[in-house]
Amino acid sequence: MTVLTNTKKSNSINLWNIIFAALILLGAICWGFQLTKGLQVTNLGTSNMWGLYITGFMIFTGIAAGSLFFASVPYLFNFNEYKPYSRITAFTGAVSVLVAGLFILVDIGSPWKAWLYIISGNFGSPMFWDFIILTSYLIISIIFTSQLLKVQGGEKDESSIKTIAIVAFIAGLLVVVTSFVFSMQVARPMWNNPAQSISFLVAALVAALAIQMIIVSILNRIGYTKMSPDLFAKIAKVTAVLLVVQLIIVVGEVLIGLYPGAGGGYDATLWLVAGKGAIGFWVEMVALIAAIVILVKASGSSEDGKIVLGAILALVAIYFIKSNFLQAEFLNTLINMPGPQMFGDAAGRYIPSLAEIGLSLGIVSLGALIINLGLNRLNLGE
Amino acid sequence: MRYAMAIDLDRCVGCHACSVACKVENNLPNEIWWSRILTVGGKSMDTPEGTFPNLRMQFLPINCQHCENAPCVKACPVGATYKREDGIVVQDYDKCIGCRYCMVACPYSGVRQFNWKKPEYAIEVAMGNASVKPHQSNVVEKCTFCSHLLARDMKPACIDACPNRARIFGDIDDPNSDVSKAMKGRNHIHLLEEKATKPSIYYLT
Repeated sequence: MTVLTNTKKSNSINLWNIIFAALILLGAICWGFQLTKGLQVTNLGTSNMWGLYITGFMIFTGIAAGSLFFASVPYLFNFNEYKPYSRITAFTGAVSVLVAGLFILVDIGSPWKAWLYIISGNFGSPMFWDFIILTSYLIISIIFTSQLLKVQGGEKDESSIKTIAIVAFIAGLLVVVTSFVFSMQVARPMWNNPAQSISFLVAALVAALAIQMIIVSILNRIGYTKMSPDLFAKIAKVTAVLLVVQLIIVVGEVLIGLYPGAGGGYDATLWLVAGKGAIGFWVEMVALIAAIVILVKASGSSEDGKIVLGAILALVAIYFIKSNFLQAEFLNTLINMPGPQMFGDAAGRYIPSLAEIGLSLGIVSLGALIINLGLNRLNLGE
Repeated sequence: MRYAMAIDLDRCVGCHACSVACKVENNLPNEIWWSRILTVGGKSMDTPEGTFPNLRMQFLPINCQHCENAPCVKACPVGATYKREDGIVVQDYDKCIGCRYCMVACPYSGVRQFNWKKPEYAIEVAMGNASVKPHQSNVVEKCTFCSHLLARDMKPACIDACPNRARIFGDIDDPNSDVSKAMKGRNHIHLLEEKATKPSIYYLT
């Protein structure tokens, strides 16, 4: 993704927008295919009923929440040097809500019935509350972005946005509600613990910072923003610390799972670290550790590609944390005895189908296109 | 009144007649099973546990447990899964948005099944009872305790199909019902009792 504001580079703008548009078209075709044929075109099944789309939903809900949080922090704690970047962060948050919502929409079998969330919501369902939270993210991030733009344009005083900044800060922390969708389920013992709230919050903050590092790094190179290496390096180090917390949670979960030496939790953990889920788990571990090391050492200069590499690795780690989180539980059920084969259960592992990948690429590209257009049309830079 | 089913594990011979009766009565699409017989201990379906000559066969019939404290009812974001006053947990196909959160919430893996494609059938002619609700694509479905038969004072299809009378059905609040009588003097267990779902299926041991 790139943003270019002068005419001599307009060809690049067009090229990126064309690439994004092509991927959006691919996603639309995949969605059409899925709507026509049903969710059988995914590699999901009766046991592993959630996959790439829900992983995408978790990641982008996290980016939305983390972006609201970090957009508000400079204004609440007077980090003046970071204030110019709050506009980009808040705008990224708004776009991420859209992307997260689309991931849910394509995952549900009957998206045309999604309006039932509004007229027939079950207040006892964590998923209903997650819908409320996601909707509030969209409203808050749009208002926050608009207020920040008014401050930038001199239409409003900086002190006037304190209230929306507080709301955004609290909303960011409420990403724990998304964790309740999973952790409140007694059917899923690996999720059914309070550590998931911390894990979701940390993952949200990491994902939001990683996206910001990638975007601002690109913008720095083309002169749209001028974040100093020092500020950049500080963000990288905060991300590294958060990744260490995430690593502690992951290692803790694995050790707690393996320690009993027998039982359902042990079997599921063994499946993850040494069974059919091992590739995903070890990619997660390598990406986590590599991201920590690279981000700690990154100097923050625009020429130093370590920031972007570290941020990409952090996102890879978050993807696998979320994906492994789902599959280790789904593919190691509480009642695990042989019987008549159920739909999609033959493989014993989950790899997204081409239709899922194409549709997901389309959704993410739509987000990238909107960010690109927003950076061009709105006064988001310094 | 609360409907309940007792399953006598000593009587079940794993013949799958209940599964087939359910499939026919409810005109279940291909690859959909509301009632299944799991094999305990064997490496694959219908294989014994142990090593020859010390072999043992044991089966576990499983379908929706119609839990009193049903996690699926709590989880459904739009109220498509709900509990009737007689204890039956119902799935409203017209309301189901196909998010599959009820399947995630249910500890009894596989008793809730999703129509991943447009329902297809083994034969062209619809089987079973005409009063069964038509199956829909993109929705979750499951055992209904054959509520269409209960409405006519009949028992679920799996009850009469069992050649060993391993399944017994009735109102557990009525001491004179078949299920209450069958449970007298017998020990019973619930599947995953520690999950506190309070199932309406009682396994007699």
